Amino acid sequence: MRGATHAKWAACAVTVALAATACGGGGSGGSGDGSGIVRSSWGDPQNPVEPANTNEVQGGKVLDMLFRGLKKYDPKTGEAKDLIAEKIETTDSQNFTVTLKDGWTFSNGEKVTAKSFVDAWNYGAHVDNKQNNAPFFSDIKGYEDVHPESGSAKAKTMSGLVVKDDKTFTVALKEKFSTWPETLGYQAYAPLPKVFFDDHAGWLSKPIGNGPYTVESYAKGSEMKLRAWDGYKGEDKAQNGGVDLKVYTDNNTAYTDLMAGNLDLVDDVPAQQLKNVKNDLGDRYINQPALIIQTLVFPMYDKNWSKAGMEKVRRGLSMAINRDEITKEIFQETRTPAVDWTSPALGEKGGYKDMCGDACTYDPEQAKKLVAEGGGLPGGKVQITSNVDTGSHRVWMDAVCNSINNALGKGTCTVNPVGTFADFKNQLGAYKFTGPFRSGWQADYPLIQNFLEPLYYKNGSSNYGKFDNKAFNDLVDKANAETDRAKATTDFQNAQKILAEQMPAIPLWYQNGSAGYSENVSDVTLNQFSVPVYDQIKVN
Amino acid sequence: MPDKTAEKVTTATGEPIPAAAVATDAGPAPAKARSLWSDAWHDLRRQPLFIISSVLILLLLVIAIWPGLFTSASPRQADLAKHYLQKPQWGHFFSPEWLGYDGQGRSIYARVIYGARASITVGVGVTLCVTVLGTFIGMIAGYFGGWIDSILSRVTDVFLGIPFLLGALVVLNTFEKRSVWVVILALAFLGWTQIARVARGAVITIKQADYVMAAKALGASTTRILFRHILPNALAPIIVVATIALGGYIAAEATLSFLGIGLTEPTISWGGDVSAGREQLRNAPFTLIVPSVMVSVTVLSFLMFGDAVRNALDPKLR
Repeated sequence: MRGATHAKWAACAVTVALAATACGGGGSGGSGDGSGIVRSSWGDPQNPVEPANTNEVQGGKVLDMLFRGLKKYDPKTGEAKDLIAEKIETTDSQNFTVTLKDGWTFSNGEKVTAKSFVDAWNYGAHVDNKQNNAPFFSDIKGYEDVHPESGSAKAKTMSGLVVKDDKTFTVALKEKFSTWPETLGYQAYAPLPKVFFDDHAGWLSKPIGNGPYTVESYAKGSEMKLRAWDGYKGEDKAQNGGVDLKVYTDNNTAYTDLMAGNLDLVDDVPAQQLKNVKNDLGDRYINQPALIIQTLVFPMYDKNWSKAGMEKVRRGLSMAINRDEITKEIFQETRTPAVDWTSPALGEKGGYKDMCGDACTYDPEQAKKLVAEGGGLPGGKVQITSNVDTGSHRVWMDAVCNSINNALGKGTCTVNPVGTFADFKNQLGAYKFTGPFRSGWQADYPLIQNFLEPLYYKNGSSNYGKFDNKAFNDLVDKANAETDRAKATTDFQNAQKILAEQMPAIPLWYQNGSAGYSENVSDVTLNQFSVPVYDQIKVN
Repeated sequence: MPDKTAEKVTTATGEPIPAAAVATDAGPAPAKARSLWSDAWHDLRRQPLFIISSVLILLLLVIAIWPGLFTSASPRQADLAKHYLQKPQWGHFFSPEWLGYDGQGRSIYARVIYGARASITVGVGVTLCVTVLGTFIGMIAGYFGGWIDSILSRVTDVFLGIPFLLGALVVLNTFEKRSVWVVILALAFLGWTQIARVARGAVITIKQADYVMAAKALGASTTRILFRHILPNALAPIIVVATIALGGYIAAEATLSFLGIGLTEPTISWGGDVSAGREQLRNAPFTLIVPSVMVSVTVLSFLMFGDAVRNALDPKLR
């Protein structure tokens, strides 16, 4: 009977799906002479990688290997150290003179000059180029002319950037910004070669940078092959022959591949394996604090969530989430319940302090009361959205929903899992969410400013909830203008008081860097942003 | 919803239907005045396969309709602190902790009980839809022949050419929220071709029969001929195909839910739970095994039932 065909089909599919997690095959090259290839887990970036456009973690990993900027953050301490910059001088915290070191080139042989930086920054800032990271240039004088809030640009370049000679350029900022040089290690400030402007499409398909690696090939959805660049002159020359970044849509599969010897490095150990990881990997498991916070952002562009009174509802939802229980059971304490909108990895001096208080403490009674006082949830329901291919997001989403349901009543909360990170990022940018959505923020540089301004300041580069609060914006402006570091930090902390009251984003927990590697490789470390320091990995 | 089919099947196999007198002509035993249906029923009652599968199916139907009878626990009640991946207490029959707790601290026993409704509704729902749709299309094509047949047969071929699972993935992917009804419609949309072909073949054979000719000669209307004379006699092969396919649809739903493309929250489905359990395989294998066993037992019951019905109705295949 042909009617039975369907039954067979279905059964096979289940078998295939189960077996796929344990696919065999693949050995690895490498003989300990620095030519071995590191095979690492990865997820597809949203867009082709481009310094001023990539504002997500997966593309950021690639930029980290392809580019070197004026400064580099020390992988251990997070301190911003001069790299291509010989020196960055200022007398007034507003006008800076940048001098470059000799000897830096792009992998196509072109010299890295002052112009490489100035052109790249002007490109990144210009409104016509629609670069995600354009707001990072907004402190520079003349930004409004190339990137007005509405209408077309009045100028092609920012007046604040002036090339003096091949080795020198000056930067004039709109206002005082004492810690500005420390932001320059972020990839948005990377230099770009001429070919980027001359043959943009060609560059995108095979990016050329000045970092220790070059791109050999990229097959979307499958793998990117990066190879060590022999001509690289920097101190952090690659200690391996290259890195193969393999795309996984499920970190459990990546972990299984690591165990089966098909992969060397997993930088996102799945929550379900945390119980076994010490047993499986021993000291080949890394668990360390990182500059990452996970939040649930409210779509403030949706009237239902932003109208008056809803701040109580948003606070109530925050109080309905049992952070302690979830981080303890599901994440086996590889996450720490959040008490502010920054990260403990900043340190107390850096500005980390409990600024959320009661609003981040589980209290189901109070949560119920607040939600009722604020007029209730829109339609009596809340739906949480996140991608589910990384970070074990599905598991905690379910747990958060269960926690909300336990506090506010059955059937209140549902989850909306999105298959891939790239798809989720596209949905974020469409501003169509009708409920809170996940935002995992991995700092671009270890400053408290970076945890607040890009995320909650008006038109911030990653302000996906479109939060806009005058008191908050003013405090951030004030903090940036402050020349005294300690005072600036206090202003940023005060700005968080407004976040605690308005709750545009619920702080969930601080994420540790959590990685495991195979016996095939050694010298694996994570930097402060929890990104593997690929160039130092040795293949045995 | 689910009880209807049970009724339908028993009516079809159990009681002599109105057209029984006519059916005698086509029946395999002209010596005795017994219809195909009563003959089949006579046969079925003696088959252990049929008895076992019927009992299991009845039980599953009761679970699907009144899950509250089997457990007092709520399938959505989650307590991470107390029950995270708690091991099964095999001795505590039918208690919430009997089959353990999942990675969200929910009773697995409660979840498999409440998950039955979705699976069985999808299985039965799709089967009803494809039977009605397929029979109708097959009957029209077979009876009228000519260009109507050509068009309908080509359409059937086109749909038959779409790989079932791939097609379902594509169709379901266009829906963000996928309830039981969406899944039923998607699977029915792709699954009716088999029945249409069988129905067409049966109708073509039957329309040559003397009693159809006689009815025509007496001036009976087309509708009357189709529904009084042809349909009742074409029903046997259709029922055989439909009952066997039912188990397949349940498996298909579980597969799709497992892949994350079938039923979505807040519907509880076995496939979804198998998927979640797969990730806990090393720490808590029971989270995977329990819902998997439920899918297997259910699919097997329906397949066995389908086999028994085929054996009884289609003696040539024995």
